[in-house]
Amino acid sequence: MSVLQIHNLSKSFGKIKALDNVSFDVPRGSVFGLLGPNGSGKTTLLSIILDILGPDAGSFSWFGEPSTMVQRKRIGSLLETPNFYHYLSAVQNLRITQSISQRGNDDAIEQVLQTVKLYERRNSKFSTYSLGMKQRLAIAASLLGSPEVLLLDEPTNGLDPVGIAEIRELIKSLAEAGHTIIMASHLLDEVEKICDHVAILKYGKLIASGTVASVLADEDCYLVNAVDQERLIELLNQLPGVSRLAATNEGVECFIKDQSLNAEIINKHCFEHHLVLTHLTAKKKRLEEKFFELTN
Amino acid sequence: MATFQNIIKTEWLKLKNYLSFWLLLLATAVSYPGINAIVYFGYDESTKPKNQSGQLLKMLLGNPFHFPEVYHTTAYLSSFFTFIPAIVVIMLITNEYQFRTHRQNIIDGWQKNTFIWGKFISVVLVAVLVTLFFFFVATAIGFIATTDLTKVEMFTKGKYIGLFFLQIFTQLSFAFLLGLLVRKAFIAYGLFIFYGMIVESMAGAFFKFKIQKFGGVDYGQFLPLEISDRLIPVPPFIGRLNEADYKSALAAVDKHIAYSIVFVVLTWLLSFYIFKKRDL
Repeated sequence: MSVLQIHNLSKSFGKIKALDNVSFDVPRGSVFGLLGPNGSGKTTLLSIILDILGPDAGSFSWFGEPSTMVQRKRIGSLLETPNFYHYLSAVQNLRITQSISQRGNDDAIEQVLQTVKLYERRNSKFSTYSLGMKQRLAIAASLLGSPEVLLLDEPTNGLDPVGIAEIRELIKSLAEAGHTIIMASHLLDEVEKICDHVAILKYGKLIASGTVASVLADEDCYLVNAVDQERLIELLNQLPGVSRLAATNEGVECFIKDQSLNAEIINKHCFEHHLVLTHLTAKKKRLEEKFFELTN
Repeated sequence: MATFQNIIKTEWLKLKNYLSFWLLLLATAVSYPGINAIVYFGYDESTKPKNQSGQLLKMLLGNPFHFPEVYHTTAYLSSFFTFIPAIVVIMLITNEYQFRTHRQNIIDGWQKNTFIWGKFISVVLVAVLVTLFFFFVATAIGFIATTDLTKVEMFTKGKYIGLFFLQIFTQLSFAFLLGLLVRKAFIAYGLFIFYGMIVESMAGAFFKFKIQKFGGVDYGQFLPLEISDRLIPVPPFIGRLNEADYKSALAAVDKHIAYSIVFVVLTWLLSFYIFKKRDL
């Protein structure tokens, strides 16, 4: 069953189309990554599903129903920047979060502050916190009362490497405990390490979505070249097992969909058709490259 | 919608440990006795001498600080200090924008309307506190100034307590709306002062002098602050200088009660509407 269903959402700011007809579902219990470069519409999308922005078109539903305040209280969210009252301490700020969301109690406040390692500074004013500490407090606020769904926008922003590792571990353990986690990130590595599902956004358009294994899988590929590239492409297209071809400066990238196709077959096929290869190497298409390709 | 108690509790959590809020309220609490005491002691000093001029002045001014007149006089003098609690009210809303907590409150589960209800309650609270300050100051001065307490009916002019509350709440609601529209504390406050002290005075004078052009209607009475300024006309000791104007000002009070209530309702409806329609 889906925790969140997004249906044809669109939103423009003046001439800029921040979201263009985006649809996907977030399965219950998944760690769902929303991946995309800066300005791809991730935060706009999250703002819409949290009722901060109104969509121009389209709809969404939480837990199978149109969004209401009651449902929003079942979602712990960190959106963009940590927003707290500067003149209040961590504990005083979380009491306000608690009062509004009705999630957790005083004990839960202490507990989440310990989880994010902010307990020692719980009585210091928010204005005295470093960027990383502010981020930790925002994560603590989203964890308050152990909500069913966690919505985290770039949760590791501003954290040091140890902090990043801790938060990633925390997200994994929350997922194991059965929480659904929706996480926006521009870091491919982060999504790959933490998430099991992913949706990729680019200029407000959804360009891929599904399980991480299917969307971001490494792809086997051969770089092939010959003097007559046109003929080469023609011949490669005849081979069963080729998923797609891409012409580059160094030659033609030949992606394969099953392991039955190998360098020997490619070489033999071309030679039998009177085309001599000038280059033939096997390479793995790395994820970074693929992400770059998907989003550029 | 969140319950009334939940809204009050949450707003209280926001204000309880907010030092600037309490300091500004303290400033308001101090300024009311301050201004009234200065005028009272000035009056007392000038009318004390048993000589002719002292007695003449006393005849002319009457007893503006005696019960029950003191409620009218003090309300009038205190109403010049709305700009202090207005800082508090503007801060209440612009802070939320500065800290982006107006968004966070919604993300955490409040409806947009709930957020504005919270502010409405806070502004009522500030207006009640300020009215209490005024009431204590007026009563204290009344006790000091009234020579024979047995002969006076203390509260025959007690309606000025209610009028003072309505005036301060109307003007603070206007300050709130400015804060909501502008979102930046200093700009909102600058606008409030500039508008209140310069623009409205000029517009008021304009409508008064050009009254013939507008078919004899003084449109100045409908200016946002003037609507409620006219709830408390000048006290009789000043009014005596122009009997005709004074009488018509007194007669217009009831009309301005209605105008002020309409103005308050419109101000808050607009606040709810703006916050609802605006992207956060």
